Amino acid sequence: MKTNNDIASRIGESHVTAARERFGSAILKVHWGSKDQVVFDVAADKAPEVVEFLYYGRGGWLSVVVGNDERSLNASYAIYYVLSMEAEDPCFCTVRVTTPADSCEFYSVSSKVPAVIWGEREVQDMFGLRAIGITDNRNLVLPDDWPQGVYPLRKDAMDYRFRPAPTTDVENYEFLSETGDKETTVIPMGPLHITSDEPGHFRLFVDGEDIIDADYRMFYVHRGMEKCAESRMNYDTVPFLAERICGICGFAHSVAYVETIESAQNIEVPARAQYIRAIILETERLHSHLLNLGLVCHFSGFDTGFHHMFRVREKSMNLAEMLTGARKTYGLNLIGGVRRDILGEQKIVTLKYLEELRGDVKNLADALLSTPNFIDRAAGVGVLDRKTARDYSPVGPTVRGSGYARDSRWCHPYDAYKTLNRKPITQDSCDVKGRTLVRVAEFFDSLSIISELLENAPGGPILNDSWSIEPHRYAVANTEAPRGEDLHWSMIGNNQKCYRWRAKASTYSNWPALRYMLRGNTISDAAMIVGSIDPCYSCTERVAVIDVKKQKQQVLSRRQLENYCVDRRHSPLES
Amino acid sequence: MLKTIREVLRTGNATVQYPFAPVKRPEYARGKPDHDSEKCLACSACAVACPPNSIQTVVDITAGKTTWSINYGRCIYCGRCQEVCPTGAIKLSPEFELAVMNKSDLEETCVYSLASCSECGEFFAPAKAVDYAARILSRSRGDDEHMRRAIELISVCMNCKQKHDAYRYWEKSKQAGELLC
Repeated sequence: MKTNNDIASRIGESHVTAARERFGSAILKVHWGSKDQVVFDVAADKAPEVVEFLYYGRGGWLSVVVGNDERSLNASYAIYYVLSMEAEDPCFCTVRVTTPADSCEFYSVSSKVPAVIWGEREVQDMFGLRAIGITDNRNLVLPDDWPQGVYPLRKDAMDYRFRPAPTTDVENYEFLSETGDKETTVIPMGPLHITSDEPGHFRLFVDGEDIIDADYRMFYVHRGMEKCAESRMNYDTVPFLAERICGICGFAHSVAYVETIESAQNIEVPARAQYIRAIILETERLHSHLLNLGLVCHFSGFDTGFHHMFRVREKSMNLAEMLTGARKTYGLNLIGGVRRDILGEQKIVTLKYLEELRGDVKNLADALLSTPNFIDRAAGVGVLDRKTARDYSPVGPTVRGSGYARDSRWCHPYDAYKTLNRKPITQDSCDVKGRTLVRVAEFFDSLSIISELLENAPGGPILNDSWSIEPHRYAVANTEAPRGEDLHWSMIGNNQKCYRWRAKASTYSNWPALRYMLRGNTISDAAMIVGSIDPCYSCTERVAVIDVKKQKQQVLSRRQLENYCVDRRHSPLES
Repeated sequence: MLKTIREVLRTGNATVQYPFAPVKRPEYARGKPDHDSEKCLACSACAVACPPNSIQTVVDITAGKTTWSINYGRCIYCGRCQEVCPTGAIKLSPEFELAVMNKSDLEETCVYSLASCSECGEFFAPAKAVDYAARILSRSRGDDEHMRRAIELISVCMNCKQKHDAYRYWEKSKQAGELLC
């Protein structure tokens, strides 16, 4: 730990000194994008080592990888690796490398830091850049039937409404499996999936009932929001679009977006607005955690608990509606503040709701945790070991359930969280039970945060609307959504639009680690494990099961698989 | 188990009779925007602010008409229109039951006429907006020159205003003896 005396003068200075000492002239330039955000311009061939050094050597975690088409600014593409430094001298360190527009190649970091893999695959898909030495070269975002040479986020590539005709009818995506010499049966699930209401394609490689390996593919519902924001929206209407990234943690996205602009442009947000943002963010956490706790009840066969969690959740939805005017998509944020104040009478009603929720959820959580079946189903299941967690930078209750104290609210405090003095809630058991317990504890923590903020909120204006913008400044901003850190990166252009906006939802960081959580468990636990990361994607009606050895295909209904997860009798594979 | 049963008995029925009985939304709930065509000036402030372009105005300069329209199917009920409206002509109501059998029923339109320039005769701005501006200006005391000129030129289009300005500047320069070539 550093003592007060040798804390460097600027936030993040210690990382700069360490990196300069180690890499010398490979660090081309360093500047501060905002108070706690350092940007390192790094020679392309040294980038993997620099990222690795900051990640493992300085206590960094990967937040997001951003690609940017900067040909109109400096005739090159840029890739930004945003690292959240959480050990000493907490700040955001961004490693920026550029690649000339004619070569379009950069050195992949993925062999040094596995966490960047999704980000680099996405940069390959969206910008047509080639990552030399990338450990996984498959498409991530673009579908199999996407035409060659159309890179959606290049500025000159396509109109945002362009829908290219499919180029192939054959699936050419190769699913990975590390099954050794075991003979396995492949169970494809999806693009419709057993539990959640969003599409994703899972392949489970099973030996009998045991999952040997798993692979999956998402982005069936990629909506092209970043492209839409960059070409159609104005930068001040994007908060409303950002809010629609997720139906559950939308407000966290909208706060993260406006804070990128506020941070890059030095726009001051009135103190009262900061309190209101934090209060609504916590309200959002209440209903999201109740939703997930309800689902955990359901998957462990405790359906009474599921119904009651949802009954109680309705109160948190009513609370949100009373405070913001809508159950979801609150539409509260503008750059510079919020649009709606919390009035005295609303404060009184809120406190009443909080009391009710505290009592109700206490009863239900007691009931859930004393159900022997739940402990049976959750303890030791879906283990995310500490090494995998460190390598893949998962976020939220998923990583906190594995004992890491990563919580964006307290690692990089923003808004009214700066005024609170709390610690991340963690569990060491690394399993579904640990993640569930984290959520239960966080729920009660959120209740007390809301009442503390309501009591302490200062008076005054809620919106600052006198500011001006300077094009091409960029910054990142973080919020802790219920499922973990949401991180946005934005750069305003000179035409009232976002030049580039990158939104990273929390589950994006959790998916790559899921594979390791599924290994070694049984099929009947798959839904439980997937549910425990509280995934943010989409929906399913049916599941097809293929026995590769017998060339036999079987289609199971969602009900069959869910029932199997709930009561674990009569395997649908045996019939 | 006993705990759970006790909780079930304590809470009773959680569902409501909707849609067979109405549900009450809170006082400030955001629902369907209500447009008051009398108060509306067709100034387009709402159309500029609307994030999903649910509100649009289309100007037909030859016919001298401007068509204001709202599509409830695109509306996200954010209430930006209400915030920017100078006359309070659009307000969000708590109404949320907007399902229709026919998609075109989701759209409402309203046609306003444009004012024509008192000098060149071209249509240039919604007549009601011009009238509104005139009424506001007339309430001012009109003691500074800028204000007086604004009142004088209220029914003059942008192009003609520019001509006026240019002419005035020329006059002034002539008086000051520094003729421009």
